[in-house]
Amino acid sequence: MIRCESLTCKYDDKIILDDISLHIKHHLTLLGSNGSGKSTLAKAMCNLIEYKGRIYIDDKNIKDIRAKELAKLITYIPTKLQVYDPYITVYEFILLGRFVYKESFFDYSKEDYEEVDNALTLLSCEHLKNHNISSLSSGETQLILIAQALTQKSKIIIFDEPTANLDPYNSKIIAQHIKKLKESLGVILITHDLHLASYIDSPTLFIADKRAVYYEDREKFFNEDTLKKLYGVTFKALMVSYE
Amino acid sequence: MSLFVTAPFIGSASLHVSDILHFDTLSSRIFFELRVPRVMFAFFAGVILSLSGLLFQSLFRNALMTPYTLGISSGAVLGAGLAIKLGMASLAFGIAAISMFGFFGAMLTIFLLITLAGFIRGEQSISLLLLGIALSLFYTSCLMIIFYLGDSMQNDMLLRFTMGSLSVVSWESPAFVGVASLVLFAVMYAYRFELQLISISDESARLKGVDTKHLTLILLVVSSVAIAILVSISGPIGFIGLIVPHIVAKLYPSSINRRILKTAFFGGFFLVFCDMLVRMMLTQSELPIGIVTSIIGGPFFIYLIIRGRI
Repeated sequence: MIRCESLTCKYDDKIILDDISLHIKHHLTLLGSNGSGKSTLAKAMCNLIEYKGRIYIDDKNIKDIRAKELAKLITYIPTKLQVYDPYITVYEFILLGRFVYKESFFDYSKEDYEEVDNALTLLSCEHLKNHNISSLSSGETQLILIAQALTQKSKIIIFDEPTANLDPYNSKIIAQHIKKLKESLGVILITHDLHLASYIDSPTLFIADKRAVYYEDREKFFNEDTLKKLYGVTFKALMVSYE
Repeated sequence: MSLFVTAPFIGSASLHVSDILHFDTLSSRIFFELRVPRVMFAFFAGVILSLSGLLFQSLFRNALMTPYTLGISSGAVLGAGLAIKLGMASLAFGIAAISMFGFFGAMLTIFLLITLAGFIRGEQSISLLLLGIALSLFYTSCLMIIFYLGDSMQNDMLLRFTMGSLSVVSWESPAFVGVASLVLFAVMYAYRFELQLISISDESARLKGVDTKHLTLILLVVSSVAIAILVSISGPIGFIGLIVPHIVAKLYPSSINRRILKTAFFGGFFLVFCDMLVRMMLTQSELPIGIVTSIIGGPFFIYLIIRGRI
């Protein structure tokens, strides 16, 4: 699915990721401490930032893919949404996911509106459709962001700390949606929430000191010794269940 | 519409419908050669100013962004000042030298802003706003030098220009500005959904395949040319670009793509209305429109800052 070769990312003169190569088959959970470069890696995969090296999606170099086509392959859901337009409604916001399918200069089609309705139904948030985006809670915002990504029909969705600002109940709702999406889409999950990582249960990539370590097996990552070594913190049994 | 119909009748010489229908009368000439062009000019000027305001605010996601606050109008004034000082007030290539220099002043400012913006690290929009303010202050100082060195006739001309005026004496100016406002509207309407995406965030637009840098440049150049054409003829008319998009958003709280047409019309009618007030207030001479819009706009600017809409 995604292959990175000798990927190096810098911010100003600071090296964030140094010569990373990896191959993501279907799903991935990206872990690592704050500022370790998880989001940087994700943004590089969407061609949002400058990088050195090569990134391939389905064996095509992403630099050779037209921006609108790349958006149909992969998209990125941020942790928080900052919206300048104070009057854009939830419905209009989700509709923007269809932008990549729309003819330039023309309006959205009937099919585009149907896709929005489907996404709203799937995520059970029809009641929010006429609300202003800026009036939503963090949990609702995360749902709407997912709805937009769904209407965009990208094959791969990157979730950047989707439960970062959420209470346990809303975290559970989001976690269940992500788990469900894993059945039909490629899911790359960035998180600090080990409950979520454990529940989503994808192969794990841990980023530290500009390098990445890959854990294919769940058991090799989710054990006290590895976690203590990686995070420098002792973990007792995980408490929350997203089941 | 009624505003449009009544506006040309108002002014220092009172006109009646029966008078203007007789061609070759003085009333008829005042009506068709002065009043109607003036109302058209005011309307198109309002369209350009308010649309540019909406555009700049969306592109930079900041409510204080307008061509006026970014120093583009000041650039035009300085250009016009130079033309006057150099005694080039006469016609060159069929276009008033003041207008041509004003146009180049405005375009130079855009070029400076875009070039300097390339060096900005961190929060783009705030730095750009500060750049605009810095440029305005610099221009004002240069203008002061021109004032200081100028003779009283030049200074009088320059002072008139800096106050902003909608008086036009032919159909040429409204035609120029009309075409500019139409092009600006058409381009903004064509890119309405891209603008909607950019006004959410730069990242969200790029995630939908929008080349934001390229598009921003296109839109800035189109609106700057329109603004430069307008300001080079009328002088600076401040705060319309700040007030109108805000009022329209309050009246019709909807996303930007559905506010473009409303902002254009409201802006046009608003300036026609302001101009009508100006002509009603004083009967001997008339107050320059730029002064009136600034008097309304200044307190509004402060209101926006206090309400945290920046």
